[in-house]
Amino acid sequence: MDLKDIKAIIDLMRKNSISEFELEKEGFKIRLKRGPNGISPTPSEEVPGLTGAAPAPVVFHPAPPAAPPSAPGATLVPLETEIKSPMIGTFYRAPSPDAAPYVEVGTAVEPDTVVCLIEAMKVMNEIKAEAKGVITQVLVENGKPVEFGQPLFKIRPV
Amino acid sequence: MTRDALILATLREAGLNPVSGEELARRLGVSRAAVWAHIRELRALGYDIQASPHLGYRLLGTPDLLHGDDLLARLGAGHRLGRDIRVFRQTTSTSDVVEKLARDGVAEGVVVFAEAQTAGRGRLGRTWVSPAGKGLWFSVLLRPALRPPEATRLTIAAAVAVARAVRTQTGLVPEVKWPNDLLLRGRKFGGILTELSGEQDRIRHVVLGIGLDVNLTVADLPGVLRRLATSLRLELGRPVPRAELAVAVLRELDAAYARVIGTGFETLADEWESLCTTIGRPIEVALGPRRIRGRAEALDGDGALLVRTEHGHLERLTGGDVTVLA
Repeated sequence: MDLKDIKAIIDLMRKNSISEFELEKEGFKIRLKRGPNGISPTPSEEVPGLTGAAPAPVVFHPAPPAAPPSAPGATLVPLETEIKSPMIGTFYRAPSPDAAPYVEVGTAVEPDTVVCLIEAMKVMNEIKAEAKGVITQVLVENGKPVEFGQPLFKIRPV
Repeated sequence: MTRDALILATLREAGLNPVSGEELARRLGVSRAAVWAHIRELRALGYDIQASPHLGYRLLGTPDLLHGDDLLARLGAGHRLGRDIRVFRQTTSTSDVVEKLARDGVAEGVVVFAEAQTAGRGRLGRTWVSPAGKGLWFSVLLRPALRPPEATRLTIAAAVAVARAVRTQTGLVPEVKWPNDLLLRGRKFGGILTELSGEQDRIRHVVLGIGLDVNLTVADLPGVLRRLATSLRLELGRPVPRAELAVAVLRELDAAYARVIGTGFETLADEWESLCTTIGRPIEVALGPRRIRGRAEALDGDGALLVRTEHGHLERLTGGDVTVLA
């Protein structure tokens, strides 16, 4: 892992409002943390290189985001939200290769509706919609690896 | 067989003799580096694989977890039930997952295990306590060429299969309480739930659900169940390796199923009767609001219970709650 990868993770965190990220590999550990609202008084600490002998935590505080555009008196209602992967693993849309997908574009889901499986450590994890709405887009192909926080579906809340 | 399964099968077969990385690479048709990557992955799962320079790999210990590929490898080829095995971390009920597979037209023989169930169920909508990593909670998809009334035979076959596997793996001798309870010293440790989807004269599919309390401790059982329920661990005084038991049950289940759809159900029914503590005893059966008192006489050819009522006539029961009176 080099600086470019770390920057990519930070971008992913910013885009998906993830406040903490931790990754541990043999002899290497990285931990990234964003403060509330991304506002940070302290500069970032040193980043271990590829050899990574010292598993020192890395605290990263990105610059404060630009103020969101807002019209006076208008409330902001998100038109679409995303269902994100809570773990690293392999994405499956159905419980078996010859079974129908759990959901398709247009499927109405409840918060506890299972939308897909993520296989991690050889175990299938059921992923739930966590919101009431309609699936508008499937963002990952069946059988592909997914990252922590990666958007899997777009959903229009109702 | 997947690569993980092939590695585990090879190491298991070699016993304490080390298998070289080169040999594994040859068998898997991959590089030695790829073998090493798989070994590391298996170690992360808890498999105790020793690597000695110049000698190779040895499997010294297996974690108490359900690993679909490993279960498939241990079961071996040529089994109708267990042609595909899937392990879920948690689900409502494994029978819900298999019911979906059934409705989607998946062929019979798929087995779904869950390490934990949030809505495990027994007969009549009762809940089944299924804490994580403590039991075997699984369901099997079956598509037998039977008439709907003959589905009871599958419950009989499952009870015999579980009893056999438990006997060979632990030495404990289970009893059966009609229609679907498995007991040890009069306490329930397992249950079978046969859910049928069919037409007038034809079964479309059956979801056979089996729940076995393997390594539950007293603390895992809700207070109300402590006098009625038990686990293999509580009876033996030591934990039981779940994967080995799972494979033994599937193997017996496959053999018993072959007898149900082929020939030989009569011998299965005889074996069931010898395990059944209900037959020959005075019982009371609750069938909804109705109560029938009498003596359990025998099973009929389809697995229904024949009860000689206190009024002297013979009733044929396919369901209900049985209480043994003495």
